[in-house]
Amino acid sequence: MNYFLRLSVLLVGLVVSAGSYAANTVQPLTTADDLGPKVEQPFEFPHNRHAGNADKGGMEINCMYCHTYARRSMVAGIPPVQKCIGCHQSIESVRETPRIKKLFEYWEAKKAIPWKKVHDLPEFVRFNHERHIQRFVFAQNKPVQEACGYCHGDVKTMTVARRQKPLSMGWCVSCHQKDHPVDATSTKTTHGPNDCWQCHK
Amino acid sequence: MSITNLLTNWSDFRQQHPSAAHPHREYKWAMSIDLDSCTGCNACSVACYAENNLPVVGKEKFAHGHSHHWMRIERYWDNDGREFADQGAQFLPMLCQHCESAPCETVCPVGATNHTADGLNSQVYNRCVGSRYCNANCPYKVRYFNWYNYPTTENVWPEPMNQQLNPDLSVRSKGVMEKCTFCVQRLRASMNDARTQGRLVIDGEVQTACQQVCPTGAITFGNLVDPSAKVGKQWKQQQVDLNIDKQPKDAEEKAAKLRGYRILEELRTYPSVMYLEQLRESAV
Repeated sequence: MNYFLRLSVLLVGLVVSAGSYAANTVQPLTTADDLGPKVEQPFEFPHNRHAGNADKGGMEINCMYCHTYARRSMVAGIPPVQKCIGCHQSIESVRETPRIKKLFEYWEAKKAIPWKKVHDLPEFVRFNHERHIQRFVFAQNKPVQEACGYCHGDVKTMTVARRQKPLSMGWCVSCHQKDHPVDATSTKTTHGPNDCWQCHK
Repeated sequence: MSITNLLTNWSDFRQQHPSAAHPHREYKWAMSIDLDSCTGCNACSVACYAENNLPVVGKEKFAHGHSHHWMRIERYWDNDGREFADQGAQFLPMLCQHCESAPCETVCPVGATNHTADGLNSQVYNRCVGSRYCNANCPYKVRYFNWYNYPTTENVWPEPMNQQLNPDLSVRSKGVMEKCTFCVQRLRASMNDARTQGRLVIDGEVQTACQQVCPTGAITFGNLVDPSAKVGKQWKQQQVDLNIDKQPKDAEEKAAKLRGYRILEELRTYPSVMYLEQLRESAV
């Protein structure tokens, strides 16, 4: 009896460890430090140069200048090449650097840059950018980079964006359960919606 | 949502029909279906298939009861011995009644079906483990189980038909229960727009797919809390009250009886769908 019990414990242990090994080799959803996987992009986009603070050599461009749909749509959107060229055709100083050369190659070939998704949610989750931007940026007057940073981390210090937050359901709910002020001046607070059909449809 | 939170605030997650403690706030979605206008054309059912990514399962599986018609037309025949063509078919579109006190919600072992704050009976596919208790306990039999993995193994949407799938809601896989959602993806979209503009959803701003295609306009859908909504006016006119299980008007003997009724109301499910009885030749 005891022998069988030990054997079964051993077997269960083996199965569990094999399972966790298999899960780790695929792609960890959340690493120990909550950092997402490094995403290999066609060429490095320096977020820090564009959105970073001026004292660190950044341009302090509003996130929504490029990710323009965030305020009015479910998705934030990746800017078209046209958006990059719109500024870069008149910035002579960096015109001959390798990354900008590559950018203009795509532009002249009339091809979209195949950016890879960094903050990728499973297809059964429907996160709504508009609601969060409307609430935090427009109703509460929070700085854009702070509001975006709740979920996207400190993108303005990164070159290629990397996931910094777990983006798991428990993590979303941990914020939705807290009370937040309704707008910048009001003392009234309310928490985020927490019924399943807000995100899972 | 921690388990302690779930246990201490159980009543918040399992909302019963509105009481003094839990009244409906801005929204309570409800429907009314006029059976006198319904011609049984099945357009609503087809629209539902298109909108909600429902698999067409084929003759054989249909015969086994594996079909996925969230909106189905039930047929009833006059039972006075007449032959086929003159039998006088009556049609009844049957869909999830979004009961305020839903029998399916209380039996789910994993809490996959819940009541939302706006009065919808939600089904969460990710949480569903496929016990099918909910279907067994549903008096209307409007829950449909995925017996197969239709998108892959059964290949019901071969290339390029998968392009027609609605991206606003998930394509369900094997082993989960599904049912009418009152087109929740449309509701959420218009509630989102209204919220951004700092108002509530206006009556008629959002339509369910079945309502949109109904050629005779038999289906009315809207917010029961909104006093200007057509659906609320119809409920009031027919003296059907959401919160009671026995309508007082049914007890009265009236010459001109009101047509509004709710199906299996006496089971105290408090359904959100009101039907308007078909006027029969004998009654006219």
